[in-house]
Amino acid sequence: MQASWKSWTIGAALIMALALVAGCGGGNGATGAKNNSQGAADPAKTTQEQPAEQTEQTGGEVNIYTARHYDVDAELYSEFTAETGIKVNVIEGKAPELIEKLKREGASTPADLFITVDGGILNTAKTEGLLQPIESAVLDAQIGEGLTDTDKEWVGLSTRARVIVYAKDRVEPSELSTYEALADEKWKGRLLVRSSTNLYNQSLLASLISIDGEEAAERWAAGIAANLARDPEGGDRDQAKAVVAGAGDIAIMNTYYVGQMSVSDDPEEVKVAEQVGVFFPNQETTGTHINISGAGLIKHSKNQANAIKLLEFLTSKTAQEKISQANFEYPVNAEAKLPELLASWGEFKTQQLDFAVYGENNPKAVEIANKVGWK
Amino acid sequence: MRASKIIRRYTNGWLIASLLGAAAILLPILYVMSGLLRPVNENWSAVKAYLLTDYVLGSAKLVLSTGLLATFMGVLLAWLVVGYTFPLRRFYRWALVLPLAVPPYIAAYTYGTMTSYTGIIQSTLRNQFDIRLPHGLIELSSTRGAMFTLSIFLFPYVFLLMRTYLERQSGSYIENGRLLGRSGWSLFTRVVLPISRPAIIAGAMLVTFEVLSDYGVASYFGVQTISTAIFQTWFGMYDIDSAMRLAAWLLVIIVAIFLMERLLRRNRRYGALSSRSKPLQPVRLRGWAAAAATAGCTLVFTIGFALPVAQLILWTGWTYSKVWRADFAHLLVNTLTGAAWATIIVMALAVLSAKAVRMFPLAGAYALSRLMTSGYAIPGAIVAIGILAVFIALDGWLSPLYVWLGRAEGALVLSMSLTMLLAGYVVRFMATGYNAVEAGYDKIPRAYTEAALTLGHRQGGVFWRVELPLLRQAILTGAALTFIEIVKELPLTLLLRPFNFDTLATRAYQYAIDERIYEAALPSLLLVALSLLSVAIVLRLERGRVR
Repeated sequence: MQASWKSWTIGAALIMALALVAGCGGGNGATGAKNNSQGAADPAKTTQEQPAEQTEQTGGEVNIYTARHYDVDAELYSEFTAETGIKVNVIEGKAPELIEKLKREGASTPADLFITVDGGILNTAKTEGLLQPIESAVLDAQIGEGLTDTDKEWVGLSTRARVIVYAKDRVEPSELSTYEALADEKWKGRLLVRSSTNLYNQSLLASLISIDGEEAAERWAAGIAANLARDPEGGDRDQAKAVVAGAGDIAIMNTYYVGQMSVSDDPEEVKVAEQVGVFFPNQETTGTHINISGAGLIKHSKNQANAIKLLEFLTSKTAQEKISQANFEYPVNAEAKLPELLASWGEFKTQQLDFAVYGENNPKAVEIANKVGWK
Repeated sequence: MRASKIIRRYTNGWLIASLLGAAAILLPILYVMSGLLRPVNENWSAVKAYLLTDYVLGSAKLVLSTGLLATFMGVLLAWLVVGYTFPLRRFYRWALVLPLAVPPYIAAYTYGTMTSYTGIIQSTLRNQFDIRLPHGLIELSSTRGAMFTLSIFLFPYVFLLMRTYLERQSGSYIENGRLLGRSGWSLFTRVVLPISRPAIIAGAMLVTFEVLSDYGVASYFGVQTISTAIFQTWFGMYDIDSAMRLAAWLLVIIVAIFLMERLLRRNRRYGALSSRSKPLQPVRLRGWAAAAATAGCTLVFTIGFALPVAQLILWTGWTYSKVWRADFAHLLVNTLTGAAWATIIVMALAVLSAKAVRMFPLAGAYALSRLMTSGYAIPGAIVAIGILAVFIALDGWLSPLYVWLGRAEGALVLSMSLTMLLAGYVVRFMATGYNAVEAGYDKIPRAYTEAALTLGHRQGGVFWRVELPLLRQAILTGAALTFIEIVKELPLTLLLRPFNFDTLATRAYQYAIDERIYEAALPSLLLVALSLLSVAIVLRLERGRVR
């Protein structure tokens, strides 16, 4: 008896071990043997294992950790693979989590590129020592000035502006001027903006800390918190909806959400987009706040050449136009044509700041927001 | 009996196997706990000064309100479908579990959008009847929204565990109560409630855990909780150490709550000697009482399942052609593979450790088992960091082996495979499996086990021949719950998955995070369908046995 149940225990342990092993095997099968990322450490080996028709084209792969999550990105990756034969492997996640993952993986990381939205986060990846300079004349030529890291550790892929939208029937654009003016008594109970836990707001506040100084920025944040028509809730789109619903008169939000609502599948959202106007603030002064989506080359990248090839592809005129068409983001390549809606808003002056500032001032911005009670 | 004596008496494979399992699960959790030992930095004082009070209060408020509401609904509805017959009772007996198939964050987006200015309710009123509702009247927002969403979509935990318990629990207590003249409300409060305590607590604990660890719903509705504080510290202040410290405190609180609960019911036993005797005979409701019962169940079912699913179907119609990609088959297979394997491992470990706790009635063993299940109560992303730390270390140790196998120096093998994600699922969802099995064990009288031992069976024989058949129902329930949980899981999957491993949940997230809720409808719908399937399978297995 003793022996019999002992063998049971051993049996159970074996089954569990098998389950674990088979689990991995199952996963590999399910993803179609895409999981040969370990091979990334050893390109020669990878090529050996690849089927012949794939190696003919050039082969190899590029591994991406990305916090961008747009269908157009996936489409562009597969176009790139079709064009070059380089396979694109992707892990999507939240930017700070991916940074943590990269830090912990250290020199062993299989990642070649880190792609995210927000200059502050790109700068964090840089200051954490995760990136390395990208040397490419093609990229230098394709990407507009000021949209690349000062040490070329990351390059921009697209930008978006954080603007004021207003109810066309209640607010005259002439009443609007700057971000700073939104803290005036005039807008008490009329302003809408989402939570300060959102990165877009943190970066805006971080930029104002740099432009106006910490004290002024804190007073500004306190003014915003005091002027809110309601406690912050929902995302950027919800602020525009609330403006049209009459909960407030003006809202701070990103341009591309207005664009996306204007082509929404929901006719009600289209109506909302039609009833709000877009105002680019600080045109007379320091410029409108923009944020950037970009890609950094991982320091321990094993497929550098492929990674740079992908970046050159993503910032080419055609790819940039696709991104802009699909997402209403502004291209970083000046040759790319703007979609009609963006073109109709016209050109505007942008904040002349190093995006690194967003990252450097972010903790301060969070602290200020918590202190002044901007939820 | 002294501890050492107990241990000597029972030292055997069970102990060793369960300790091994415990160690594997505890490693990442202990890693998180070690956050308490690291030196405090200056951010921590800012966190304490501006965040902690508000956020702890926010969590407490949400846990209390949601916990009470969900428990109340779950218990009442379970007693209704077990104790009475009324029209559609057999349907609602399982249909009321279905809200569990809808991930709360998806439900939050769905209801948030439905009740918004552009949502179906307000736009219909506005466009068809020219009625404009004042802003803020029906919009689900802030604490109200979070309370509603979490209660409606989490109450089935309580419902399911309570219903299973009542059905399998011999009806004799309740029959005796009835014979002694108790009926209606007094039967419910004086007999049903007291005997069901283990099931109620197990269910309520799951709800509490889920609410504490929730980030998606709270951040959508802008409610400040400990979870949102953890992420604000991590994502906003770039300070993962302080975030881990917060999570570690959360863990300490959880284990303390458990120990307190255990202390409170220290001297009670819930085993029923007549476990195999006739099941409870439900009382037939007539007239308005029957109508009210059916209406109540219908209302809950409509709000918790029919309505949001109908809305998702409508949205899928809008976006289907845009969202459908050829890789949806992959998404389904990935979701299924991950969930199935992890569920099997969770249930094996849950049975093992529940058995071990039963054999060693020591406070230490109990605390250990609770710590094993505490992964459920902290945000998934924090668990993920613990797992990541353990696996990367493991890959470091195994490096010579990898080199010997022909891999490059310093390659990450385990932490780039599905193994890491499975480990994450197991650590995080031990609770759903374990709680169900434990509740099942609680109602098997020790006398059965002891009798079998006296008759010359060893622990192993007792387990396979006596306990396992009695646990069958509990294991099935636990497996279904765990499976559904894993299918819905998001933060761990995001952080621990290998390259190109997308699941239905990550695809839904990809759209929802960008406020494209209509596009998120299709993957959400498939996810709900998959969960439905698992409920259906459990029902089938269950029916095969009962009849």
